[in-house]
Amino acid sequence: MSPTLLVLVVGLAQGTPAGTPAAPASHEQPAAAKEVPKEGDEAAAPGAAAATHDASPSSGQAAPVQHAPVEQGSAASGHGEEHGPAQILMHHVLDQTWMGLPSKHLAFFVIAALAVIGVVRIALRGYTGGVPRGLAAFVETIVVFIRDEIAEKNIGHGDGRKFTPLLCSFFFFILIAALLGLMPFSATSTGNLAVTLALATVSFLAQQYAGISKYGVVHHFMGIVPPGLPVWLLPIMIPIEVLSMFTKPFALMVRLFANMLAGHMVITALLLLIPLMAQISTFFGLAVVPVSIGLSLFIMLLEILVAFIQAFIFTLLTSIFIGMYAHPAH
Amino acid sequence: MPTDPKALAYFAAGIGAGLTIIGGAYGIGRLAAAALEGIARQPNAAGDIRGAMIVAAGLIEGVTFFSLIVTILLAIK
Repeated sequence: MSPTLLVLVVGLAQGTPAGTPAAPASHEQPAAAKEVPKEGDEAAAPGAAAATHDASPSSGQAAPVQHAPVEQGSAASGHGEEHGPAQILMHHVLDQTWMGLPSKHLAFFVIAALAVIGVVRIALRGYTGGVPRGLAAFVETIVVFIRDEIAEKNIGHGDGRKFTPLLCSFFFFILIAALLGLMPFSATSTGNLAVTLALATVSFLAQQYAGISKYGVVHHFMGIVPPGLPVWLLPIMIPIEVLSMFTKPFALMVRLFANMLAGHMVITALLLLIPLMAQISTFFGLAVVPVSIGLSLFIMLLEILVAFIQAFIFTLLTSIFIGMYAHPAH
Repeated sequence: MPTDPKALAYFAAGIGAGLTIIGGAYGIGRLAAAALEGIARQPNAAGDIRGAMIVAAGLIEGVTFFSLIVTILLAIK
């Protein structure tokens, strides 16, 4: 799936002469710098500035190619720095200030959280006379699926019901945050390591809580090693089990972060193909436009699927881990 | 020999990404083949098998992504 296409990203980053000042092919750099005063009105719009640098022919001729910049205006809103493909790519996926707020990811984190609350409140209004209508029917399907197929199955009857609200919160938040990120001019808050770290921390605390609330602190931490082991194995097993306790949420964190990041990087990389090709010749630039847009549309649709799958996997793995601590081997 | 020290980092990133994809694709491929075979032998268990397959695929994917992030850092930093 997306990992295969991620190679493209690395390939693109390799071929960036503008990013490496020491690279032998750095004649683009002065050419691009020279054109700024010539096209002062063009460069005034910060979005267009980066695109113009990339699309300008490397030999620095007059009449620069103008068709390419349109596609990536949103990708590069421009600082005064270098604008190689790697810079534009990183700018697109990293955090930035947004509409006077210090962090765009934080803003969309809050928006996603409010959206979850809003969706559920609207869904609650759909219950008239005990029968769900409209949105409520959709939300109820997912909640019942999480309760019966994820929580009860993996955590156990009774215990599963206790953790269903937490698992539902995980599912809806991750889903809505990912879907929000697919809209134009938005950002995926789960594409930030800090956000996924927070989610994984909550998951970790829930796992420990499941064990501690059921067996008490002492028994819980003694239970991480399967009973009946030979004593000489304990020095090996205890570090391994303690490590695995922290590896589980760490893997959850990296998986969600990387999945959310990868799709956006691939889409940006595919759109960046246009200015890269236009650097070679106008014809190549025009020829790659349908290919590039078609492929990025495909990845965009794949991202919708990935949003659901990642929400499902995070919820499922959390419930499996909770179940491991709620029912240790005995 | 490359004169630019960054060249080696780019080289390593390219090779690393390729190796990562080979490993990930092999794992997912084995997984899907086994799951399909299982479903073909026992269509009743299709739901359970699919669920287990998605979990295992998620674990493989997680490790793959972890390695890909390392290669991206090599290429971009």
